[in-house]
Amino acid sequence: MMNIALAQIVPKLGDVEANVALHLEVLEKARKKRAGLVVFPELGLTGYTLKDLVEDVALDPVKDPRFRRIAAATKGLAAVVGFVEESPSDRGLFFNAAALIADGRLVHVHRKVYLPTNGLFEEAKFFAPGREFRTVEAPFGRVGLLICRDFLHYGANYVHYAAGADMIVCISAAPGRGIEGGDAFTTSRMWELMGEAMSYFSTAYVVYANRAGAEDGVSFAGGSFVYAPGGKLVARAAYVDPDFVVTPVDLGAVREARRTWLFKRDEKPEAIWRSLERIVRAPED
Amino acid sequence: MLPKINAAFVEKLLTGFIRDELGRHGCRKALLGLSGGLDSAVCAALAARALGPRNVLALVLPCGTGFRGEVRDAEGLARRLGIRCETIDISPQIEAYFAADPKATRLRRGNKVARERMAVLYDRSAEEGGFVLGTSNKTELLLGYGTVYGDMACAVNPMGDLYKTQVRQLAEHLRLPAAIRRKAPTAALWPGQTDEGEIGLSYDEIDEILYARFEGRKSRKEIVAAGHKPAAVDLVLGRVKASEFKRHLPPIAKLSPRSVGHDILHPYDWGR
Repeated sequence: MMNIALAQIVPKLGDVEANVALHLEVLEKARKKRAGLVVFPELGLTGYTLKDLVEDVALDPVKDPRFRRIAAATKGLAAVVGFVEESPSDRGLFFNAAALIADGRLVHVHRKVYLPTNGLFEEAKFFAPGREFRTVEAPFGRVGLLICRDFLHYGANYVHYAAGADMIVCISAAPGRGIEGGDAFTTSRMWELMGEAMSYFSTAYVVYANRAGAEDGVSFAGGSFVYAPGGKLVARAAYVDPDFVVTPVDLGAVREARRTWLFKRDEKPEAIWRSLERIVRAPED
Repeated sequence: MLPKINAAFVEKLLTGFIRDELGRHGCRKALLGLSGGLDSAVCAALAARALGPRNVLALVLPCGTGFRGEVRDAEGLARRLGIRCETIDISPQIEAYFAADPKATRLRRGNKVARERMAVLYDRSAEEGGFVLGTSNKTELLLGYGTVYGDMACAVNPMGDLYKTQVRQLAEHLRLPAAIRRKAPTAALWPGQTDEGEIGLSYDEIDEILYARFEGRKSRKEIVAAGHKPAAVDLVLGRVKASEFKRHLPPIAKLSPRSVGHDILHPYDWGR
């Protein structure tokens, strides 16, 4: 058993120092609740609607002292943190990134692959896209990181599934749209539908941390959740409002689900790969 | 000093912009407030060249009798450009409003004056069937040195991407009188006011800092390293940050999948 904390925070737009303090505060609260994993939202260290502020708030997670303070605060637990990355190997490129930190150590940085750029979204105007999905070992199991829109592309989830992920963690700054859906924005249902389906057919945990608050008139929808393998809703945070939810999860449930539903045993990534290779190489085929 | 602009090329672009933007709306006439200062003089000269002098109406809008020099310079420039000109003292409406509130601060009175000028311009634009031209330059817009819904209000703004010191270069090219080019910039919201006195820095220095930040994409640290006083850099960049709201339409609370200002996105010149 492990406790997962969903940190549905309201970051301050463009103020890294204030958001580092907020993260440290939440990590401390999570530690008191004996959380093994704390998941913060997309761009939690910076706020979402950054536009030209992107380069002012970018940091190198290996060197930046502010980021190292957060890493140091993960002794004995793990956290997923959203930030803007500029690394020495890609100077002048800015990535919408998620870091998995465990026990004080930076385990992995995922760079958002799918940057929404339509309607009110302008991400590809300001960010460079990530180029891969990599599933990594955390102290509690194999983890695949996704950022917001990545999650809505089912191929991204599939890669983590094929790589043996026990848990898919999606951090998000999803704005709410549509007011015909009861006590939540209509769009919240879209995320829950994906969470339910992915946890069911990947026989893995799906952890989704969204943010709350509003920026430039746009409200973030909240509604962070944890689905257990088999499409079982374990916990859900408040819609729209900030929240902090700690929920126990049984990591043995992955094994149970995979014995019951044999999707993973019978999966044939090589058939998918050959088919994709043909499609990518000869799109006219 | 900012790099020199090609003033003849800028004149061609901006006269084209005025003619084209108004023309798309079936309009050939423009109005503007003429203060006797540099920005409105440049704008008036551009409009006269773009539309023909008789299609430009300049309104000189002093508040009271404390601005005789400005009024004389403005009327003189209008005669020189051959544009139509009227002078209206707006002090009766300002005084009537503040008669009930004599303790109003200078800033409140100044903003009221700027908004009264806007109200007169918009009223006359309906009668005239002309567009109100904005005269806020890039330096003012970035500093937020203007009154929301006052001097910042307009139908189109040909000046908004020229720093103050670039407007000076354009003024020289347009052969505007030296009296106008050399006078200390003022919003004329109260007698004796000057921009540089109120802001606390010269436009030369302000423009260098803004240019380094926005054209050069330099950080605060790099601008200080290039020789500007930290206090000056902080003053300028602090004003830019504090005035961000002045450069936006008011935020609309987003509720639906497609909202005005967020994701119903049509071009300004739609169908024009």
